Amino acid sequence: MEGPQMRSANRKLCAVTGSARKIKDNAADWHNLKVRWDKLNDEGFQIAGNIINLKLNRSQSELHQQWVDEAPAPQSAPWQQAAGTADLLNECSKLHHILEKMAIIMVKMQRVMASQRGILDLEEFQFGRGGRKVPLFHSWNTKQLDEASQILFDAFSKELQLKHSILQELAHTATSDLCMVYLSCWLHEPFIPPQTRLILEALLLETGHRPI
Amino acid sequence: MSKSALLTLHQALRRSFQCLENKQKEWKSALSECTPLMGSLGNLAEQLRALSNVQISNTPLRDFPDLEEKLRFKLLHAADTVLGKLNEKMTFLQSVRDAVSNQVAGVIQLYEQNKDSLDLLTVIERSATIPSVADMLEWLQDADRHYRQQFLRRKTLMQTLRGDDLSLLESAPKRWKSLETAGADDHITDALCKVSFFMVSG
Repeated sequence: MEGPQMRSANRKLCAVTGSARKIKDNAADWHNLKVRWDKLNDEGFQIAGNIINLKLNRSQSELHQQWVDEAPAPQSAPWQQAAGTADLLNECSKLHHILEKMAIIMVKMQRVMASQRGILDLEEFQFGRGGRKVPLFHSWNTKQLDEASQILFDAFSKELQLKHSILQELAHTATSDLCMVYLSCWLHEPFIPPQTRLILEALLLETGHRPI
Repeated sequence: MSKSALLTLHQALRRSFQCLENKQKEWKSALSECTPLMGSLGNLAEQLRALSNVQISNTPLRDFPDLEEKLRFKLLHAADTVLGKLNEKMTFLQSVRDAVSNQVAGVIQLYEQNKDSLDLLTVIERSATIPSVADMLEWLQDADRHYRQQFLRRKTLMQTLRGDDLSLLESAPKRWKSLETAGADDHITDALCKVSFFMVSG
């Protein structure tokens, strides 16, 4: 029967090599990927805001043109319109670029999740269906660690889908209310609820990245 | 006897005005921190309003059936966070109000205890550098009243934000701003100016 000291020593060894090391690295990866995602989200929000403003300015100037039909049209008007369109296209392509970077993050998240799944499969192979008797860290079994990864991945994946929709529609939206809703969706990320972030924190706590 | 009572009273008054000076700064600082929070609240209310005005099923977002509910939850969650921070500020403002009140009550009580040994002439006598005891007590009481009133008004406003009434949330930043009349605490600043020589003497 292992004494408590032996158990913690074993755990320390586990943390250096093997499954525990991999899981710990995965948790760190999740955290880093989330930090990068949040940064891109903020940048994207600024750009989305610019797109909305450019659109509003354009529709205001178009409205102005409709009112001023008798007066000689200012010579710069077509030039201004062209510049406005160019700016809008520029911002849209910047936003597209942000989404491409987010897609890359998703690919990495998928790798982390696949690695987690692999560890679970290995454990089932080694220890049978019930898995390991003693948890690798504090209390979670490998299945729970895998489920946490899955929840995180699903949340970010759904959110990315939403962001793609927003990108496609943002520049074509008529009403200001809907524009506001698109911006809200981008910023507040409805498919990444507070629980998701708590799960990530719990994962970091479990794997020893955060002190208990 | 009158002289020592006056001296004690003067010392208490100096302490009170020193306290008032500090509390005025703390109050202003806390209020200025509330402004961006109120701004955020108004912003979130605007977003909630826009969400209510939009029929998601008529938009390209219809592909995400539970989007409206989840977005509303996130917005309300963010609003809760902001309200939590505002409530913290209110607690701080309350402590400032209480500190001023206690200080003023203390000095008034001291006056009450000693008023038999202080005749009317002593109390209303003033010099170039030392205002009269009567004036100083009045200024302190005015300051106390000012902070009590201000706190009450702001607290009442905050109470109205409890409900799910969106229009109250939307109007909150404007109503909060309207409570801040320009020069509202000028009388306190003036009083502190008037006692500045008194503070450094004795």
